[in-house]
Amino acid sequence: MEEKFDCIIVGAGVAGLSAAMTLANNNMKFLLIEKGEFPGSKNVSGGVLWGNDLAKLVPKYWEEDAGWDRYINQRRLTFMDDQSTFTVDFKSSHFNEPPYAGVVVLRSKFDNWLAEKVQEAIDKSDYAMDSFIAPNILVEEILEEDGKAVGIRTGDEKFYADSVILAEGVNNLLTRKVGLQDKYVPADHMLTGIKEIIRFDQKVLEDRFQLNGKSGMSNEFVGYATNGVEGGGFLYTNKDTISLGLVLGLKDLREKGQKPYDILNEFKKHPVIADTIRGGEVVEYSAHVVSSGDKRVMPKKLYKAGLVVCGEAANLLMNAGKAIQGMDYAMRSGILAADTITEAKKNKDFGDAAMKKYQDTLSDSYIMKDINNFQDAVHLLHDPVMTQKMPNLICDFGRNFFSIKNEPTKKAREMLSDSVKKHASYWDLIKIGAKGAKSL
Amino acid sequence: MKLLSLPERLGLVTYRNQAKSDIKPHIKVDTDICNSTCPHKCTTYVCPANCYTMDDAGKVHFQVEDCIECGTCMYACDQGAVDWEFPDPEIGRGVTWNFG
Repeated sequence: MEEKFDCIIVGAGVAGLSAAMTLANNNMKFLLIEKGEFPGSKNVSGGVLWGNDLAKLVPKYWEEDAGWDRYINQRRLTFMDDQSTFTVDFKSSHFNEPPYAGVVVLRSKFDNWLAEKVQEAIDKSDYAMDSFIAPNILVEEILEEDGKAVGIRTGDEKFYADSVILAEGVNNLLTRKVGLQDKYVPADHMLTGIKEIIRFDQKVLEDRFQLNGKSGMSNEFVGYATNGVEGGGFLYTNKDTISLGLVLGLKDLREKGQKPYDILNEFKKHPVIADTIRGGEVVEYSAHVVSSGDKRVMPKKLYKAGLVVCGEAANLLMNAGKAIQGMDYAMRSGILAADTITEAKKNKDFGDAAMKKYQDTLSDSYIMKDINNFQDAVHLLHDPVMTQKMPNLICDFGRNFFSIKNEPTKKAREMLSDSVKKHASYWDLIKIGAKGAKSL
Repeated sequence: MKLLSLPERLGLVTYRNQAKSDIKPHIKVDTDICNSTCPHKCTTYVCPANCYTMDDAGKVHFQVEDCIECGTCMYACDQGAVDWEFPDPEIGRGVTWNFG
């Protein structure tokens, strides 16, 4: 490893691996460094990988029964109070054929599988003996000369390259060290995700969730799930396990003095959830910070001479109510980063202006277009009216609407009006309605 | 289904270098700040692995052994008491997820 690389990628998560795959396909010489024991070993997601970029990196990945767990053909959004759930449920055979709209993945397995695919791409490139995936190495410093990134340092060892891709994840210490993110990132727009992997007999799981073959279901929860803390819950079906967890606003958690693992147990005790998970066995408990998609916290500049930042290191993640998107942003931004580096090599120019092309292409991509367009939705989803009052109101209405009492029945409009008065106010709804109309 | 306590949950986590008794902590906490000027001592409840505890006298203590590298304390602490790094692969602690 004496010679200089075209590129050093820091972090073998979805962003780093997608960058690496693209570099290998573009016949570039690179070093992909991962601090964990193997790619994926330190990574946690909900999680669903949305969209179809995976098929660009691993064509016909669905023909292989490896890496991913299930494809999504059912989406559920559940409003929850202390007793009830009111769910919007959409399932369609339209989603049954590849390319799939989204696949559920468990990162320790998925990232490791994707790394094997990257290695296969390396083996086919001209740099089969000169490009490497190197786990168990912690990058401590980005080496810079005259303001340009020229390599990395780990312990006493230094490795040099024309460029560096930072794909280190949300806890982006190196991005901070090179001055692209504030040294201290406050809790205001960050969340903590915690989850349990709960195992079932595969047939029990498939029967309980009405899964067929490799089909799967994703379910998000708002309201009682988070016990008054801003955020939401999630349930995804994996092959023979489910991922059940919460995403909790960190500032709100701090202010309300709550413990995340206690809230998770309350969520699991909810009568509807208890029915859903009965007989399961917890096989892993994990947690990870996640960014909210609020632009106020994102690094403004995602490049400098010889360096670009992609994936969640750039806080590229968003939940605008439709889906929690993070891994697909990581994948696309990794691809765009690698394309910029490839172009830079062709032009023999890795300077500031050449790296800026990455941010330009990112701004033109669906990622920044969506993040820019849906900021109001992000704010709306973190509004206490939306996370608390609305679910209570909806469940109260549901309870009245679906109760048959052998007495004169009120019209639905009247029932709704009763529920609104009990749990919120028309003023709340007008405000939310106005915000909602603007955000959608 | 049976609800797990936090120690039971952490018992399911695979930590690195578990055989080594002498590990290099990847997080340093200046508990003098926690125990003098901090108005909320929030790490003692927001940490998903309960690495920060409060004793009967209300003092904050920190241990790194149970840390699952989530990053929560780095953002939650707004007092400058938490110095957060990633664990060293050879002599640090930290996690290896089986599912992730």
